[in-house]
Amino acid sequence: MQQGGGSETEVTWEDQQNINKFGRLNNRFHELQDEIKFAKESNENLEDASNELILTDEEVVRFQIGEVFAHVPKEEVESRIEEMKEVTSKNLEKLEEEKESILAQMAELKQILYGKFKDSINLEED
Amino acid sequence: MATASSSSSSGMVTERRGIPGAQFVEDVQTYLTQAGLDVNSALSFLQERLQQYKLVEMKLQAQQRDLQAKIPDIEKCLDVVATLQAKKGTGEALITDFEVSEGIYSRASIEDTDSVCLWLGANVMLEYSCEEATGLLRRNLDNAKASLEVLLADLQFLRDQVTITQVTIARVYNWDVHQRRLRQASPKDS
Repeated sequence: MQQGGGSETEVTWEDQQNINKFGRLNNRFHELQDEIKFAKESNENLEDASNELILTDEEVVRFQIGEVFAHVPKEEVESRIEEMKEVTSKNLEKLEEEKESILAQMAELKQILYGKFKDSINLEED
Repeated sequence: MATASSSSSSGMVTERRGIPGAQFVEDVQTYLTQAGLDVNSALSFLQERLQQYKLVEMKLQAQQRDLQAKIPDIEKCLDVVATLQAKKGTGEALITDFEVSEGIYSRASIEDTDSVCLWLGANVMLEYSCEEATGLLRRNLDNAKASLEVLLADLQFLRDQVTITQVTIARVYNWDVHQRRLRQASPKDS
């Protein structure tokens, strides 16, 4: 992350804390990208499931609870899937918001650090 | 066992749960003089520290993966117990298809029941009432989540120390390069 050419710019404790914070935010950003991908997949699966439900004419659906498939009446399955969809959408929203906030903080830190260190610091993804 | 010893004047934590804190260097010259090290020894000391941090990081990440797998498992168990409890009042049996072997399922009819058996690990399974089972599973879930939080905080602390060490290595190296340039510029010994 650091490259130097023998420059004399002093690194203060505040600078170090900014660099640490940037590193932490960057890590969290990557974790969030994975979590968002996973949440989007869940959402899609639930969509597919509820579409299949509409098409089926069986009264009893095998619904996965834990490791087993329980025989559950169609209406109950419909309402369960609706609930799960709501939970996943809310979660996805929360994750996207966190991602935006992190990107904003990282942009701010980049300005501060590039401002002080210019070429001596590299904050880009390799 | 969880110690975060008091900070020095620069607001730093000197160690956390057995992980040594990385010392922040205010001035490279002072640091080298105080430590009594020449540049190469300082660099190899810092590199060694970095390796140690990486080892601890791998260990903590493995623990993190374990916990992150355990939590959905406990949640699934809670789901099943809740379903059994919900069915209790109705008097109907719960019919489920469960896996006997890969790709082979069998049907079970679960009658009204007051108790469930929980697998505790180490080849031990105990019977609990539904309420006790829910209580136990909830406690396990809370413990797992709390452990995960502590672990994540440890990992954050560790990453900070890695960053500080990397920056210190770069600064010591740059300082050395700078010193060499100064010595080359003036023919006298500095």
